[in-house]
Amino acid sequence: MGSTDKLPTSKPLEGIRVLDSTYVFALPYAGGLLADLGADVIKVEGPGRPDVSRTGGFAGCFPDGEVGADWWNRASTYNLLHRGKRSLTLDLTKPEARQIFQELVAISDVVMENYTPRVMKNWGLDYASLRDIKPDLIMVSNTGYGHGDGPYSEYPAQATTQEGTHGHCWVSGYVGGPPSKVGASYVDFLSTWSAIFAISAALRYRNRTGKGQWVDLAMYQSGAMFISEYIMDYMVNGRLGERIGNRHPQRAPQGCYPAKGQDQWVVLSVGSDQQWEALAKLMGRPDLLADGRFATLSGRQEHHDELDTAIAQWTVGHDRYALMEKLQGVGIAASPVFLNRDTHLDPHFKARGFLETATFPEERDIGTRPFVGRPYRFSRSDVSIQGPAPAFGQDNQDIITQLLGAPSGEYETLVEEGTVASAPTRGEPNVPGTFEEQIAMGRLAGRDEDYKAKLGIP
Amino acid sequence: MDGGILEGVKVLDISQDIAGSFCARLLGDYGADVVKVEPSSGADLRRMGPFFKDDPHPEKSLFFLIANLNKRGITLNLEALEGPALFKKLAEGADVVVESYKPSYLSTLGLGYDDLESINPGLVMTSVTHFGQNGPYSQYEGEEIVDYAMGAIMSISGTADREPLKHGGFQAQYEAGLNAAGATAVALLVQTNLGVGQHVDVSTVECVSSTMIGNQSMYSFTGAIQPRRKPLGTQFGQPMPCADGWVLNQAGGGATWDDIADFYEQPILKEHRFSNQTLRNENGEELDALLVDAIKDKGKWDLFAKASKMRMLFGLVQTPEELARCPQLESRDFYRDIEHPVMGPLKVPAVLFNLSLTPYSLRHCAPTLGQHNTDVYCNEMGTSEDELARWRETGTI
Repeated sequence: MGSTDKLPTSKPLEGIRVLDSTYVFALPYAGGLLADLGADVIKVEGPGRPDVSRTGGFAGCFPDGEVGADWWNRASTYNLLHRGKRSLTLDLTKPEARQIFQELVAISDVVMENYTPRVMKNWGLDYASLRDIKPDLIMVSNTGYGHGDGPYSEYPAQATTQEGTHGHCWVSGYVGGPPSKVGASYVDFLSTWSAIFAISAALRYRNRTGKGQWVDLAMYQSGAMFISEYIMDYMVNGRLGERIGNRHPQRAPQGCYPAKGQDQWVVLSVGSDQQWEALAKLMGRPDLLADGRFATLSGRQEHHDELDTAIAQWTVGHDRYALMEKLQGVGIAASPVFLNRDTHLDPHFKARGFLETATFPEERDIGTRPFVGRPYRFSRSDVSIQGPAPAFGQDNQDIITQLLGAPSGEYETLVEEGTVASAPTRGEPNVPGTFEEQIAMGRLAGRDEDYKAKLGIP
Repeated sequence: MDGGILEGVKVLDISQDIAGSFCARLLGDYGADVVKVEPSSGADLRRMGPFFKDDPHPEKSLFFLIANLNKRGITLNLEALEGPALFKKLAEGADVVVESYKPSYLSTLGLGYDDLESINPGLVMTSVTHFGQNGPYSQYEGEEIVDYAMGAIMSISGTADREPLKHGGFQAQYEAGLNAAGATAVALLVQTNLGVGQHVDVSTVECVSSTMIGNQSMYSFTGAIQPRRKPLGTQFGQPMPCADGWVLNQAGGGATWDDIADFYEQPILKEHRFSNQTLRNENGEELDALLVDAIKDKGKWDLFAKASKMRMLFGLVQTPEELARCPQLESRDFYRDIEHPVMGPLKVPAVLFNLSLTPYSLRHCAPTLGQHNTDVYCNEMGTSEDELARWRETGTI
């Protein structure tokens, strides 16, 4: 990066307050990234509606598999998504909670929510209502199919099922096989990133004009946007789109091949005749080079299966990192297939500092953990994970009595009536069984018992 | 009506690929004045399919079209003798430069961030590359499949009995374009607030890696390694075949497990052995058989409508054809009509998200090669027609 110095106070969103009344992955993650950028992000959850990233199958893992007494604060996914925020619990089904929410809106810059369209309206917390309280408010709503009068607008949705509706499954899968879903949530993140784009642009616009606005995100719409070329190919050429597995429409050979060792893989992609020549030489296969069937891109595409067999015979005898180095050394795009361990230990990732650590207060008993940072660096602005995710409702009293200046006694009443809480009244921890059981079931591939030493964390 | 949310922002897009082009397009979609700067041979993306009527003509790449909407276009050969000086002149008046060359290439031409910053301290330069600007792999060759491999998603996509599987299409490039637009907007906010520019370094591999929220934190919380799913007994939550296609269903939403059992008309699903996620995993093969049997004669659209009205999390696998005709996307004004100088009238996927005050607008089709040379060089920069002719002769443009 350039030689420019960091400015003394240069967190891009310093002084910006975000009210984050969102659940699951998409906007909660956006809230975490806004906190990285320096915003004061207040996560608002119902006492009886803890985020699913704390509970159930979406919660990920507990530290060393230990559920713990305050399990709702310990799940890995929750702690990644909500880094650097404050936590307020509010039962928004109650008018006094909605009153507090509105008071917070009046002193916030941004509100984010992801209820189905009718919910915020019924509560009088939709954009039209909140704009009366805070005229230059920026509000972001994220739904599966988008607000408006479309036929699916009220349909419930999450990324897993939307990966089918927005068209990605149709174009994903092994050659000749059925449609496939990727191994994690996908379309959520398109809303996460769209929110960062829209909020930053809207804050700039507000600073210039004094005007706020409403951002209406639909995960379905973003997902469809990302297969635009298939839609165009249908509309113009009548082509229906096909599944080509790990291949490329205009490069060959390209694929994922076994490397030496158990479940070790390498990918490579050949983009020119020169690269093909270099590959055949590396493989020690002058016979392939002499074979006219493979001399052109279209020939290599036509005989791709045969090339795959030959390449796999070569790769399987070599270490995956050594393969990357050899292939890259002759200008061929290649990489090992990273496991989650590699994300932590690979020298390039370490040099880039992509993962950032958060250290939890001692009473949380989570220790210090690395988390995914952000896919961009700024040469001047100071951006990083600001601290661990908060415990459930840990900032209730501060926010209600200090920030909002509620009269004495009010906070205690809210606690008594269950309007705010420091532990969820509903939800169960997701306890998937011991590591040994999960490995036996094929739910885990294995476990590094010495992972903390490998990561250099206590 | 107000202009676009980024109205007044001047962007030079010298990227040749999908990611950088899509970043600049998004800035243009929301109001920025974007000028695509191409070598006289045309950006690489002009040679990428699909093509209009399958004709591989440089003005008929549909991929170039969708990645370059809302831009004007000029030609400029950065490696020509007068190329760098001319580019600097353009960059003096720009707010943003988007580029996707290998790190350090532009510096060798005297057009790196430090060079441009010295003539325009407020400039935001957004570099979109596979591996980022620094680190041991920064000079490596990147490709779409490499992004998924190094981003770790491939290790858990596909099934355990086969090789890891990449996403369909060019998801990683779009992901990088969107993140680059977001990071650029952050830098523009800082530029407006503090009057300073900066270099923004976006890595496509890290965009993919950023989606690994469960996978990454599994290792840092437990040391466990996540595998691909087993081929059998794991179909719930994946595409399941029905009479005329595939559907997907996931537990949760507004439906209880008993509701789901009722939907499939399989009372046996209410038995203890299917009552939670862990048990459903253990009895996955039996679960798959029950579900697939229940829907094998049913149509996907009926299943989708009925399940969604029961508040179930339920999807169907739509084809590009179905998306092209989708009434929901229509209701969102997702598609817009354009008139392309060579391809003629076309409908294009256009709107990423909706804004209440400064809505999306489609102001330009993707430019033909050098379409706005006179517009930009003569009308805006004040270059004479003679000078322009000389630049053409010397191969500068």
